[in-house]
Amino acid sequence: MIGHTGLETPYWSSLAEGKLSLPRCSGCGQWQWPVAARCGECGHWGSEWQDVPLSGHIFSWTRTWHRFGGTEALPLPYVSLLAEIDGTDGKRLMGLLEGVGEEDRVRIGAPITGRIGSTRFGEEDVPVIIWRLRDGGEA
Amino acid sequence: MNKTFYAKTAVAGVGIRQFRRASAPMSEQQALTHAIVDACEDAGLAPADVDGFVTYGDDKNEPARLMSALGTKELNWSMAVLGGGGGGIAGAFADAAAAIISGQAKAVVIFRALVQDMSGRLSAAVMAHHLNRHMVAAGIVAPAQVCAMRAQRLFEYHGVPESTAEEFLKACYYHGSHNPDAIAYQTAFDHDAYAGSRLIAEPFRLFDCSRENDGAGALLLVSAEHARNLAKPPVYLLGATQGTGKGWGDLLDNDEDYASAGFATVARRLWEQTDLTPADIDVAQIYENFSAQGVASLIDHGFCTYENVAEFVRFENLIAPGGGLPVNTHGGNTAQGFIHGIGMAIEAVRCLRGESANPVPDARTCLLAGGPAAPTVSSAIFGNSGIIG
Repeated sequence: MIGHTGLETPYWSSLAEGKLSLPRCSGCGQWQWPVAARCGECGHWGSEWQDVPLSGHIFSWTRTWHRFGGTEALPLPYVSLLAEIDGTDGKRLMGLLEGVGEEDRVRIGAPITGRIGSTRFGEEDVPVIIWRLRDGGEA
Repeated sequence: MNKTFYAKTAVAGVGIRQFRRASAPMSEQQALTHAIVDACEDAGLAPADVDGFVTYGDDKNEPARLMSALGTKELNWSMAVLGGGGGGIAGAFADAAAAIISGQAKAVVIFRALVQDMSGRLSAAVMAHHLNRHMVAAGIVAPAQVCAMRAQRLFEYHGVPESTAEEFLKACYYHGSHNPDAIAYQTAFDHDAYAGSRLIAEPFRLFDCSRENDGAGALLLVSAEHARNLAKPPVYLLGATQGTGKGWGDLLDNDEDYASAGFATVARRLWEQTDLTPADIDVAQIYENFSAQGVASLIDHGFCTYENVAEFVRFENLIAPGGGLPVNTHGGNTAQGFIHGIGMAIEAVRCLRGESANPVPDARTCLLAGGPAAPTVSSAIFGNSGIIG
């Protein structure tokens, strides 16, 4: 699939093992996301992958009501979100939010905790982080 | 200031063939050939004398394949803006002007053609650039969803009132309702119609989204001197910038100014390049793939800020003839039609010729802002003899 650079293999392998791992530059230590061949800040080549907790905050979200082709595995409506991952200098990952009703307000800044699931896309089960609101979902 | 482009080239002719989606009575290449010949006839220049072509956004029509039908004598410039989809539209003018100013071509057509039977759905073509495992796993497969999440942050976090998106759309539909060439011609559009339309991806409803048309559009760019000897009053290219800055791009939604439309560096360089300011712009064609991104584009270009956006983005302020900044005077992508935005560029020319269905009297300058929130974007400013003399 376009956009899969080959550098992210450790990300997907970690998810398959039930944990979240993100890369840091092995030169200057900055979090790198999306992962890059070279650190544009310090010029170092190569990254180290570090496990991070499945917790964060909602950076933004959308609740999809229209049946776009390719989303058949997800019951409508469903909430997609962009999660700011705790302890990563604000790096963001796309995921799904469970446990909210059709009318429930979702708030930017709300704390969330995640588990790893998968979404059927075509012939493949793609790993995904499925988030839940923590502490009542208040921002 | 670097006025390299300022009034060195001009649009001398425009042509467009627009059809309802999946109902084009001709092939994509035929529609494009018609649009190019229309543009040449508009200018009074023989199609065979066109020696350059520039396109953007995944157009599949290689200029060499057009030569037989046009009678092209020499093909001297054959380029496409790489990446950015509709964000590349104004960059195509920069590219064409660069060819003319540097003497590599004399008559360059900027074009975009899209007939679904040949090229498939535009939304699918756009997403083919971006779709990845992160997105599909999260159920994000369409531009509407990507832009919806950015819009959500624009409204909820940055405090931009959602009503601004509706005001922007009302202006588009008002103009479209007066334009016989628009899909929304004679169509009423009000709050009830908007609020009653079905949800697509929150906060977007159906009316927040542009809808695709089949067809083709072409604009003929020549040197300013050449344009003055052709049939129509020249519409000069005053400036055009393309690209993006650090912290923006194809970053899996990790863009720094995430809720913006991505024009920070492009807009700054455009004002520097032309020595103009937002106050100098009389009318604007603001590419709206989605309503909120049209609003964000106005903010990015400096017409207003997160704080005062509701004062500026008001229906009355955005309509011709009396608004402070009439936008999308043909109806825009939402209400006029959407052939990947080429109609926006054509309207920029028509409004400065006084040919718009919604005239802006004495307009001298028109901003063309390219597709917002794309990984790379572009903008251009056009002017007529009112500013050039």
